[in-house]
Amino acid sequence: MSGQIASAAASFQRMAANPGLLPETAKSAGMRLVRPVRSRARKAPFVVVILTVLSIGLVGLIVMSTILQAQSFEAEALNRRAAVLDTQQQALAREVDQLQSPANVARRAIQFGMVPNTNPAFLRLADGKVLGKPEAAKPGSSNIRSVTP
Amino acid sequence: MSEGKVKSRRRLRVCLAVVIGVFGVFGIRLFQIQGLDASAYAAMAVEAGTAKSTVPAPRGAILDRNGVELASSVDGLTLTADPKMTAAVAPQIARILRQKLGSRIDYFDMIDKLRTPDSRFVYLVRDVPAWTANKALKAISDAKLTGVFSEKETLRTYPGGKLAANLLGYINGAGKGVAGVEQKYDKTLTGTDGSSTYEVSPTGQRIPMADSTVTEMVPGGSVKTTIDRDLQWYADQRLADAVRESSSDFGLAITMDTKTCQIVQMSQAPTFDADTGTGMVDSNTVSRGVQNVYEPGSTMKTITMAALADQGKVASDTPIVVPSGMTIDKFPIGDYWEHGTLHLTAAGVIAKSSNLGTIVAAQQMSNQTMYDYFRRFGFGQMSGVNLPGESDGILKNGKDWTKANHATISFGQGISVTAMQMVRAVGAIANAGKMCEPSVVSSAGGADGEKAEIPSKPGKRVVSKDAAATVTRMMEAVTAPDGTAPAASIKGYRVAGKTGTAWRVDPATGRYIRGQNTVSFMGFAPADNPRFLTYIVLDKPYSNAGGGSTAAPVFHDIMSMALERFGVAPSGAKNPKVDQTW
Repeated sequence: MSGQIASAAASFQRMAANPGLLPETAKSAGMRLVRPVRSRARKAPFVVVILTVLSIGLVGLIVMSTILQAQSFEAEALNRRAAVLDTQQQALAREVDQLQSPANVARRAIQFGMVPNTNPAFLRLADGKVLGKPEAAKPGSSNIRSVTP
Repeated sequence: MSEGKVKSRRRLRVCLAVVIGVFGVFGIRLFQIQGLDASAYAAMAVEAGTAKSTVPAPRGAILDRNGVELASSVDGLTLTADPKMTAAVAPQIARILRQKLGSRIDYFDMIDKLRTPDSRFVYLVRDVPAWTANKALKAISDAKLTGVFSEKETLRTYPGGKLAANLLGYINGAGKGVAGVEQKYDKTLTGTDGSSTYEVSPTGQRIPMADSTVTEMVPGGSVKTTIDRDLQWYADQRLADAVRESSSDFGLAITMDTKTCQIVQMSQAPTFDADTGTGMVDSNTVSRGVQNVYEPGSTMKTITMAALADQGKVASDTPIVVPSGMTIDKFPIGDYWEHGTLHLTAAGVIAKSSNLGTIVAAQQMSNQTMYDYFRRFGFGQMSGVNLPGESDGILKNGKDWTKANHATISFGQGISVTAMQMVRAVGAIANAGKMCEPSVVSSAGGADGEKAEIPSKPGKRVVSKDAAATVTRMMEAVTAPDGTAPAASIKGYRVAGKTGTAWRVDPATGRYIRGQNTVSFMGFAPADNPRFLTYIVLDKPYSNAGGGSTAAPVFHDIMSMALERFGVAPSGAKNPKVDQTW
């Protein structure tokens, strides 16, 4: 038995040194060729999954960055519009300020022939009593006849 | 060894040397970039890919007592140009700017700027409201002209123009308050600029989701004053008219709420307009109400009488023998009208404004006593109104008084005051003998200026309630038909007042100038329950103007308006009849 093993080992060495000898010596040593081991998993689905994930990611990234880019343009346009509206609001607020300034109101009132009253008098609503000495303000009696700008 | 093997080994060595050489160069460069100039390169990299912009913080608003804006900030633009681009089209651009921006543009000056040789940057015009500047920029781009740019800034506007200009003050080119409330509350009003840094593409487009840092700007806090805008406007206008009609050098009008010592109106004429930048000369921008010292004249008699009444030395019916004239320390003193020996009551002395009568009465107190009372009334000390550049006035120490000093100070000459000091002192008489410090700001901070209240100091008693009432009765005689200022009386109300016609001191020589006066009127109403005190000063009016004839009508109008606006109804009590002679 041990002699058989020794001769098989020797023939294996020979076989390694000279591959041309393989079939006969291997057979004689009780060896035979086997089919190469093949993995049971098939490659195609895996590749498809990976490619799909990658392409979805890539497309998603492109879509997202395009959307963001487009939105950044839109944001900038809206910002510009907000700034324009802001200055417009300021301009209008200023116009309102000027129109309702005491100087403007007084000027308009004087144009209408109104006269500032310098005789304060009050009507007490509780009992209808007049406090102070009411007197009609007469044109010319007023001390403000025109408004200096 | 075969020849082929030797060859390939040599080739390997050469390759190795080349590779080591190349990597060595890389290593050295890497060491240089990472080890030696790391921060400089990092900064360059950041610089290339980031954009930084400052967000200017708007200055806080100054509000009136009802929250109406007296000063506010708006967006402004500074227009700049690249002369290399604009030189050829300068006249077209200058014409558009002149059309759109109006008188602030000088056409020829603009052409010079647009043609500045060897320059790629010039300032064209600063501080333009954004809405106006944008119109100009749009017109320029519509005309297909290039080379004009803009820079953001914030702009200070005063919607009322001249309204309360001396009280509000103004800011300098660097945006710092340099007068009035703008200066005193500069810290509150100034905001903190923000900034934003973000990554940009080589074309300048912001990269979404890239790193960005934003420092929020903090807008300045507002300041709420005690001024009533409409009353202020009326007083400004009325005073300006009076100054013009009397051809005075300047005029002042101050109205104070005697209960709270809040200044509700403070006018000066002539004044300036910081909104348009007109009239910005020192004589207009100085706040004369607190910075100008002058001799007040007869309005000071009220203080002398209050001091005497507090010591129980005078009542409104105290008989006083008024001589026809006096000479003290070789200094002849008379009254403004010729008279023989008169028998006036103390009220009569005030009503007729007799200098001689006041001297006789004041001689009942020593120099030191009188000096102490004047100090108690706050003369020679700042009024506490807390406005920049305030003056102390001049009150000589009582120890150094001559007889003439004692005599003249009793009727308001030889003592220099500010209008605000006078308002505070007579305010004590109106407030039943308690004097408080006038204030112009009620609260500060926050968007509405109401974050922190500015506490008012409690008033301190300077004379007794009775003394104040006595002087009030004397002052009511002034506005009576036989007093010196019937023009100051307001129908239906009891009005206490006092005229003043003081000799003017020539600041150069320190001597009085004949024929030049400072006329004034100080009064409060309703005399039976004082609410407002108004002080009018007209400096150097035409030569025969007097406090009763020139200043009293202005007092009447402003006081009437104040009573009306604040709804102060008259009590209906009759004016007390006070005998002026005995």
